[in-house]
Amino acid sequence: MADVLFTNVRIFDGGGEAPFQGDVLVQGNRISRVARSGYGSRPPSVAGAQMIDGAGAFLMPGMVEAHTHFSWNDQPSLESIQRMPPEEHILWCAQVARRYLDMGWTSCVGAATAKPRLDVVIRNAINDGTIVGPRYLAASQEITVPGGLGDTTAPHLPQAEFAFGAVVSGAEEMRRCVRMFCKYGVDSLKINLSGESITGMPSEMSQFTEEEIRVCVEEAKAWGKRVAAHARSTWSIKQCVKQGIEVIYHASFADEEALDLLEANKFNHFVAPGLAWLINTCHHASTWGLTPEVTRKMGYHRELEAAIESMKAMRRRGIRILPGGDYGFAWTPHGTNAKDLEYFVKLIGMSPMEALLSATAWGGPMMKMGKEIGYIREGCLADILLIDGDPLADITVLQDKARILAVMKDGEFHRAPPVRHTRANRWAA
Amino acid sequence: MNATREVLFTNVRILDGTGQQQPYGGSVRVRGKRIVQVGRSAGGVSAGDALVVDAAGATLMPGMTEAHTHFSWNDAATLAGIQTMPLEEHVLWTAKVARRYLEAGFTSCLGAACAKPRLDVVIRNAIDSGQIPGPRYLAASQEITVPGGLGDEMLPHLPFPEFSFGVVVNGADDLRRVTRMFLKYGVDTLKLNLSGDNFVPGADAKTTWMTDAEVAACAEEVRMRGKRIVVHARSCASVKQALRHGIRLIYHASFTDTEALDMLEAARDEVFVAPGISIIYALLNEAEPWGVSHEKAVAMGYEEEWAAACESLKAMHRRGVRVLPGGDYGFAFNPHLQNARDLELFVKYLGFTPMEAIRSCTLYGGQVMLRPHELGLIKEGYLADLLLLDGDPLANLSILRDPKRILAVMKDGEFAKTPPVAKARTWEHAA
Repeated sequence: MADVLFTNVRIFDGGGEAPFQGDVLVQGNRISRVARSGYGSRPPSVAGAQMIDGAGAFLMPGMVEAHTHFSWNDQPSLESIQRMPPEEHILWCAQVARRYLDMGWTSCVGAATAKPRLDVVIRNAINDGTIVGPRYLAASQEITVPGGLGDTTAPHLPQAEFAFGAVVSGAEEMRRCVRMFCKYGVDSLKINLSGESITGMPSEMSQFTEEEIRVCVEEAKAWGKRVAAHARSTWSIKQCVKQGIEVIYHASFADEEALDLLEANKFNHFVAPGLAWLINTCHHASTWGLTPEVTRKMGYHRELEAAIESMKAMRRRGIRILPGGDYGFAWTPHGTNAKDLEYFVKLIGMSPMEALLSATAWGGPMMKMGKEIGYIREGCLADILLIDGDPLADITVLQDKARILAVMKDGEFHRAPPVRHTRANRWAA
Repeated sequence: MNATREVLFTNVRILDGTGQQQPYGGSVRVRGKRIVQVGRSAGGVSAGDALVVDAAGATLMPGMTEAHTHFSWNDAATLAGIQTMPLEEHVLWTAKVARRYLEAGFTSCLGAACAKPRLDVVIRNAIDSGQIPGPRYLAASQEITVPGGLGDEMLPHLPFPEFSFGVVVNGADDLRRVTRMFLKYGVDTLKLNLSGDNFVPGADAKTTWMTDAEVAACAEEVRMRGKRIVVHARSCASVKQALRHGIRLIYHASFTDTEALDMLEAARDEVFVAPGISIIYALLNEAEPWGVSHEKAVAMGYEEEWAAACESLKAMHRRGVRVLPGGDYGFAFNPHLQNARDLELFVKYLGFTPMEAIRSCTLYGGQVMLRPHELGLIKEGYLADLLLLDGDPLANLSILRDPKRILAVMKDGEFAKTPPVAKARTWEHAA
């Protein structure tokens, strides 16, 4: 791959400082030089490198989606996700993976898959170049209990193939299930600890015994895997902290004790609330029969209020809150994920800077890659976005594909900047 | 692509695919997905708003058709090696192979069997809906076989259908049920393994396996639904059986006698034969790294089959039976994308002229894809499936399997492989 020199760009390096004017050199798959340009300075010439004159565009680290479901198929129900045959489903996942990269998500953390091996296969296919997609951590299906969130079997159709999640009951069934997914090669196990009102079991209710959860965590740790939990209810949030579940999705109903627990362990956990899903379910899903009256009755409006309060409190306490969550339903289609950042700013009081950092600086450890990604710094992997506009002034520009001028992953352009830039370089050269 | 968008190839040597016409200099205009103008002279063509591709004398010919394609064969050395690939990986593999065929100049492929029940159908649908790039494709069933025949990969102690490469049936009713199942899945063609194969111990190429009642049951169902049967038929008896049942696409046909050849000739306006001889050649001469030495291949019967096949196919060609390229690429010793090698073998061993070889993948290709009125030729009104070649395939057929010599591939008026020249021109214009 050719070396690339970005000149004349405003660099947001992921460290939390104000952006600065400068040049970024990518050699191989890494950033090899980041230089500030001062008054009168000229871009360094690098023999053989492709020059991209950014004309003042905003250069930032690729974003990390913390709660991704490639296999959700933009349908309105779990059943209609589940009914897609496996052959079509894997092609769908491949298509969606590309869409994420198109939209600037150079890394995604799988949060659950709809059939046992979809995530693992997609991750492997991305890594070996069969398909195009972000860096990806592969998840298991959602592990749940009979009657819980993800058990979509019907009394007269009890076959496991009808279930969206993997349904287990008892510690040893849990252990067997975890082992099966570890055998398949997942990076993380997904366990549904709370309900989900839309599926019948209210979000404030919890499922699983402490013993079942303990076995899940124990077995996952024995395999060196991570556990992530669907945890909307108060009890489930506390279980995550008490049992060492690293990734907490939703965390809507956090009480003082839960907040204290989280704060005391704040570097052991990531929280990804998936606010856009709640908001769209409450207010923008009428087309699919979920009018505000219906969703109010389900309890989602109350949950949204609780979730906003919980997130505000977590932000004040310095708990890591990350974007991403449950895109892939009809009313939260894949690719619109940067909505989360807008809601972080508008609803929970983050500055645009904090919102950007939640998608970059915290993305590295969320991807288990430390500081290798999430920064525009020498030595880091070259996952880079070039943005037309200033996300620090208007965070919504990240939702607009046309404003995302270029996407680079691992030193290679997935989307190269448009011709006029290349042309400008030719003139310059 | 915008329906009114035009591409004008100028300064091309047109090889029109009919087999009747020596290449000539000219220009070809494509509008939307069709060829709208084929001109003989270099001058006097107004470009208008068309994207102009000045080919600088490169050859423009119709996209090639592969008459016996297995996208889901995964370049493994054995049938079991294909079968043990898990479903999810297999779909992604198949999608990748489809794209590579198109980029290699095969704008049409006729599925000859897939390795798991729905692979071909799903890939065809994904191509047609624009989800993935690939050639025009006719989707096949799995190979349908009988216990012990080619494709029955079950071991005695593992008698589970999932282990089987093909679908194993027994009896006319069973064959009818399986035929209906594949028709329900949406296949375009049903594949029957009528003969054995030297690759399979105990079921060599000269053996014939299905009863007439079984074949008739399949044929009746398929006819009712307007679909097509294709057959693996290496033995003489299986070729005759296929013809007796009105089957019009015969794969291999290695062993024939005068009666079989007479039957083929009598049906020559309807019948196609795609022998897939390259796999025999490869096993005899090139498969040592995968454990098949020349001596072993001879012992398996491949030398005898090669000699018989050359005689049979030469006779068919003389008698005017349409013999088409393609066949059984996707094994380690006969890998995907070498498919155009068939054309070289046709010339070298079967007495084809290079022009006849080209015709077998162009004119005949449109016919075997069941679209003779709009596919396979460079002709006004035909679909714009085109190859731009650096060189003259009539002088050197091997350029058809050299990616560097295939400058551009167009399917349905859209570039699947964009000519490098055109890119450079766009640049200069933009600047």
